[in-house]
Amino acid sequence: MSSPAERVVVVEDDELLAEHYLRILRRAGYEVYHAGHALTAIDVIDDARPHAILLDVLLTGTNALVLLHELQSHKDLASIPVVLATNLADQLAMDDVESYGVKRILDKATMHPEDVVAAIRWATRS
Amino acid sequence: MRVNSSEQTGVGALVSGVPSVSVAAHELKSPLVLLRQLSLELLNGDLTDSQRQRILEQMVSVSEKGLRLTGDLTKTETLQQPLFDCYPLNPLSVTDDVANELSGLYKAHGRTLRVSRIRHLPPVVANHDLLRRILLNFADNALHYSDIHGVVELQAQLQRERDIVRLSVRDYGPSLPLASWRKLTSSLSNKQQMQARPLSSGLGLYISHQFASAMNGHIGAIRHRDGASFYVELPVSRQLSII
Repeated sequence: MSSPAERVVVVEDDELLAEHYLRILRRAGYEVYHAGHALTAIDVIDDARPHAILLDVLLTGTNALVLLHELQSHKDLASIPVVLATNLADQLAMDDVESYGVKRILDKATMHPEDVVAAIRWATRS
Repeated sequence: MRVNSSEQTGVGALVSGVPSVSVAAHELKSPLVLLRQLSLELLNGDLTDSQRQRILEQMVSVSEKGLRLTGDLTKTETLQQPLFDCYPLNPLSVTDDVANELSGLYKAHGRTLRVSRIRHLPPVVANHDLLRRILLNFADNALHYSDIHGVVELQAQLQRERDIVRLSVRDYGPSLPLASWRKLTSSLSNKQQMQARPLSSGLGLYISHQFASAMNGHIGAIRHRDGASFYVELPVSRQLSII
């Protein structure tokens, strides 16, 4: 019997981009959930208990750092690895966000669909 | 947190800061990023025919959004009264145009843009193209803040005592956080460059303000318990009363 699929929560408020992520991650075999607002993201994450989170930085209602702070405040969610996919990659340093469980920062302007899958795979294995 | 009472702020004549090139570049980056990702997926992805069709439709609507923004930016640079004559027009003809123009984009997002009609709405003094662009901006913005599968309404309202018609785009989604709303209100009253909703650079509102001012109108916003309205107010045409 095959093992159950790993779960990923995508937090992205651009719906078409989110749909793109969902397609490529599902094709790669992941069970994928989506939160379109930072306000709902924590509930989706709490329900799905994902193996990794793909997170946009500029979000409706707040930004990713606020969400990362909140995740850290929940013992059971703090260890979930996070991949940031952002237009602000050139303004973010891994050193600044590593302590929040961020494993990789993807630049939306240069990444390829397979980079997203590879980053999630790397995050869930590390 | 939801706030019990709605809050309203006028935006007219409150925006003095001109968006920088970097703000415009940032706004244009998002559609380009999305187009690139979808193109790469089309090139490499193992897609069904229906997925391929959907992606192509999304690419068209995203391209059109980017083109609208570049068109608006160009117009703000050349905004001179003689180029944009104002004349009496039926505001509902503009709301219908906007609903038609955005129907594809709304469909791609699984949402509906509905025109709420009222009878006996008088003509306003406006420029069809500028008014259309303002409402396109508002409706485009509302798309990203409305509930999934939700409805966004284009509303028209006559305010007789003020001799104006207010055209609003009303979305039903999470209430704008109070802190963000206060930041918006504060930046407006301090005549700084507009801070819009958290995700936005405010460029769309800046453009809308410029267009409204060119028609002797103004824009504003209302924060509701369950979403927000962004509106433009325009003077009622007196042509009929003179006749």
